[in-house]
Amino acid sequence: MIGGCVRCGDSAKVLLLMALVCLLVLAAIVSITQGAVQMPLRQVVGAIIDFDGSRDHLVIMTVRMPRVLAGLLAGAALGVAGAIMQALTGNPLASPDLLGINAGAAFAVVVALTFMHATSGAAYVWYAFSGAAAAAVLVHAFGSAGISGAVPLKLMLAGVALTAFLTSLTTAILIWNQGTLDTVRLWTAGSLSGRSMPQVAAIAPYILSGLAAALIMRRQFMTLSLGRETARSIGQSPLLWHGIAIVIVTLLAGGAVALAGPIGFVGLVVPHIVRFGIGVDYRWIIPFSALGGALLLVLADTAGRTLLAQQSFPVGVTMALIGGPFFIWLARRSAGGRS
Amino acid sequence: MIAILTSLILTIVALLMASLSIGDVPLSWRDITAALLHTGYAPQTETIVLDLRLPRALLALLVGMGLGAAGALVQTVMRNPLAEPGILGINAGAALFVTVLIVAFPAVSIAFLPWAGFAGASATAALVYALSWRQGTSSLRVILIGIGVGSVVGAGTTVLMAFGDIRYVQRAMIWLAGSVHDGDWHRVRTLLLWIAPPLALACMFWRELDLIRLGDQTARALGQRVEHARGMAIVLCTLIAGAVVAFAGLIGFVGLVAPHIARFIAGPGHSRLLPVAALTGGVLVMAADLLGRTIVAPAQLPAGLVAALIGAPFFGWLLWRRRHVPA
Repeated sequence: MIGGCVRCGDSAKVLLLMALVCLLVLAAIVSITQGAVQMPLRQVVGAIIDFDGSRDHLVIMTVRMPRVLAGLLAGAALGVAGAIMQALTGNPLASPDLLGINAGAAFAVVVALTFMHATSGAAYVWYAFSGAAAAAVLVHAFGSAGISGAVPLKLMLAGVALTAFLTSLTTAILIWNQGTLDTVRLWTAGSLSGRSMPQVAAIAPYILSGLAAALIMRRQFMTLSLGRETARSIGQSPLLWHGIAIVIVTLLAGGAVALAGPIGFVGLVVPHIVRFGIGVDYRWIIPFSALGGALLLVLADTAGRTLLAQQSFPVGVTMALIGGPFFIWLARRSAGGRS
Repeated sequence: MIAILTSLILTIVALLMASLSIGDVPLSWRDITAALLHTGYAPQTETIVLDLRLPRALLALLVGMGLGAAGALVQTVMRNPLAEPGILGINAGAALFVTVLIVAFPAVSIAFLPWAGFAGASATAALVYALSWRQGTSSLRVILIGIGVGSVVGAGTTVLMAFGDIRYVQRAMIWLAGSVHDGDWHRVRTLLLWIAPPLALACMFWRELDLIRLGDQTARALGQRVEHARGMAIVLCTLIAGAVVAFAGLIGFVGLVAPHIARFIAGPGHSRLLPVAALTGGVLVMAADLLGRTIVAPAQLPAGLVAALIGAPFFGWLLWRRRHVPA
């Protein structure tokens, strides 16, 4: 992928996709075996197919497995959501955050912890998801009002305004409330620690259906990325497909923020990395972004756990520290010649 | 144009008068004029007006003007409506340096905070520009490298915020929220000297900015030395925004939204856009600071927060009113 496969044929891209899948499975297995206690591969397989309730099997099924699954789901969701947002707006700065998703989730979690005395663990998932969805609906309603319909610029500006508003409210609450700040600050950095299997199972349907829809409709997103005029002239209804894109992004990014906290980096950067590798065709960008996002998040989480030997080290940080320099190097190498 | 400028300046004067009279000790117009004229009649009132309220209001005005102009510059050069000074890594760099100082070296005097902020801002902006240079730059590359550098630097800040001592973290958070509460004459003078030359240069530069907005190829075909113009604009933006961040912390939303409001009012030409954006920014931050210190008095909300809290609904209203205008 790094070598660049912009001009490869379809069969080469399929092969590349297969290779990424293998890499992802490998990364997931390594991630399960590594940790405070090393688990041999045999134990892992045993825990999955023949669970005997021993301590090792319990650790695998209740601690490591949900963590890896949450990482895979959230990473894939964020990668695809970012790709769709960039296709929709035609703006390299676009990411799921632009719909106010992370700001809405953070606001809902902070309000729940401060005013409704929610218990932390369970509060995060559902409050985050509903906050994210509410923010996205509001941004879309505002951004698509009027005769001109859902113009990308209007949508982006509405998103930016709502994000700034909610972020400020959140900060205002946290400045007055040291207790909530202390509970919530690890979550806001983006973290996969402490996810339980029921939580993952509850969120997975949203993310999986979003991923499936995005993959099925990838041709439509390709058309969408050509811009409003072109899309309309080849017969696509901008109103309908804008709406569908927003719904899919909300499912994906809302689910991701519920599982892993507000992680900005994946949704913004993974689509760019994929574009450096395989070009501008969204029919390929969407599946590659799903795999790339999942791979990046799982690798970053594993690195944070093993290299730093810190169970709760926020994956958002490790990812930026690992992925950031890589991304800078790629952007220097390949982004837009001289002009 | 004259009507626009006059009404903006009148708004600023009105806000200034309001800032002088509203507060813990409400003052009448007569008290204020007496204090401003230095009659020496009531020394206490003079202290309140001249040493506390006036410098604070002026600092808010300068901060807002700097942010508005810097935002307009960077949106033009990046040709991106989502760009703001923070895209050059200015905010992330300042935040990292200041958080390191507050959280890791809490014993160091707070007098160093502005210097740390400015150093962080300009170092990061220089790094972004240098890394995106490869026989010339391009707007897309500066944006992408800015994202990359910003996320790495931001990760450093996040580590400190997540694992530092909670008391210092909260102090850092208040600084990061952006505030002009410690405005005094020394700060006002320093900031004025710091941002007046780059602001004036930027306004003299309007032709270059009008050209570079058209895209690299068109601008080059029209005879512009694109790299010079882009580099110049980035340097000016860094100087202005870096100084503002150093004195007032991260006031994020103004630099993004003031140029858009100005574009609604005055159109895209830079001879008009730059001054209008600067004044709009000034109005926003002054109003935010005034509200922030009065609505929850005696406590104070940082101006950076209030700017987003009042600026976002106002901007939303503007968007709503213009919803039928084809973009």
